[in-house]
Amino acid sequence: MSDIDLDLATTWFLAARTMACGGDEPSVAEEAAAGLFARAILGLDEESCIAAKHKEHMQALTLIDCMAMAGKLPRGTADQVMTGVMMIAYAAASMQPLQVRWASMLASAMDMNEERFQRCCVNARVVASMLPHEQEAVGG
Amino acid sequence: MVDLIGNFDFLQKYDNRVAHLAAQAERYVHSDPDAALFKLRLMVETMARTLIEMQVPELVDAELSVMLRSLQRSGLLTRREADDMHAIRRDGNAAVHGYDSTTPTAMRRLRDAWRLSRWYAKIVKRGAKVQTSEFKPPLPPAEDASQRAARLRAEALEEAVEARRDRTREALLLFGDQDDITAMRWRLRGELRALEGVAVAVGEPIVDADFVALVMAMDLEQILEHPSWGRSSQDAKADVEAQFEAFKAAHGEAEQAYLQERAKLAREARGGA
Repeated sequence: MSDIDLDLATTWFLAARTMACGGDEPSVAEEAAAGLFARAILGLDEESCIAAKHKEHMQALTLIDCMAMAGKLPRGTADQVMTGVMMIAYAAASMQPLQVRWASMLASAMDMNEERFQRCCVNARVVASMLPHEQEAVGG
Repeated sequence: MVDLIGNFDFLQKYDNRVAHLAAQAERYVHSDPDAALFKLRLMVETMARTLIEMQVPELVDAELSVMLRSLQRSGLLTRREADDMHAIRRDGNAAVHGYDSTTPTAMRRLRDAWRLSRWYAKIVKRGAKVQTSEFKPPLPPAEDASQRAARLRAEALEEAVEARRDRTREALLLFGDQDDITAMRWRLRGELRALEGVAVAVGEPIVDADFVALVMAMDLEQILEHPSWGRSSQDAKADVEAQFEAFKAAHGEAEQAYLQERAKLAREARGGA
């Protein structure tokens, strides 16, 4: 597990948890989608995902830290993270004011313009539309 | 023999059909683990059908995996019960499709089924106090040295595979089993509210909240038909499908290797080649 993978996994899970928690009670769909996205799309290994979610590791970080880490991501990776964050909203088929605010904050931290953001949203909807079938991979 | 074990006797007064299937699985766990897993899968399907009739009656003829997902979405199935049911479904399917099973696999799923039964009894008899003693594993019949060695190897393999599956599951889930989701939600929402106040004070960024809300509300077809997006979204879909498939293939290969190793040990335990 490299430091780069751990940083990406940390950024992803903190951003994704915030998106999920900004709405109603996180659903099974949101839960399953987030992990599958990390493994299949971001290409993170199990070790990095588990280490990133370690309680002490996560508790030490704030959303300001998350945005700072998101701002350091390469452009392509940042787009993937934003796609995943928006996918969570699409998977739940709703978006509440705090979630809208989080997406806006994260996009700004990534120095994203409207066009890039909109492209991420298109991709997020494409991924979200595939999820009910893909959740089988989690159930085994 | 089953009457002498009777881990599932308590279930008879809640659901006789489910109790019968569980007792059969208990009886077969050593002599015919494939049959035991098949009976357990049927038991879970019967449970799911009863629960779905209470929650989403229109899905009563759906496949088991669809029923389980729907019950999870409805909140009736917690993560723990859903995991147990999916594990029984998976190993039951493998047995039905001709993969030889071992007693350690069937025993593990029998224990899961016992835990599920106590939960199920409380659900179907709303709030009933379900009194049971501890689960008692059915005792193995007499076995020779080679059968015992094969059983021990199968148990070790089962342990290793369960540990691997737990790790995969832990990596995939957004929250860990030990996380206090309510506390985390409270903390993150508090931080978001504070950030909201800052954003209002310093002015909106380029991608402002109104724009996010607008994009979220847009119809997908409208975006896809736009010349700027049509081509890239098709590529995106192809890329995503390829990535999901690669992940599923890797996951599937690991499961396949385990099933083959387990089938080999099952043949050895039976004294075959």
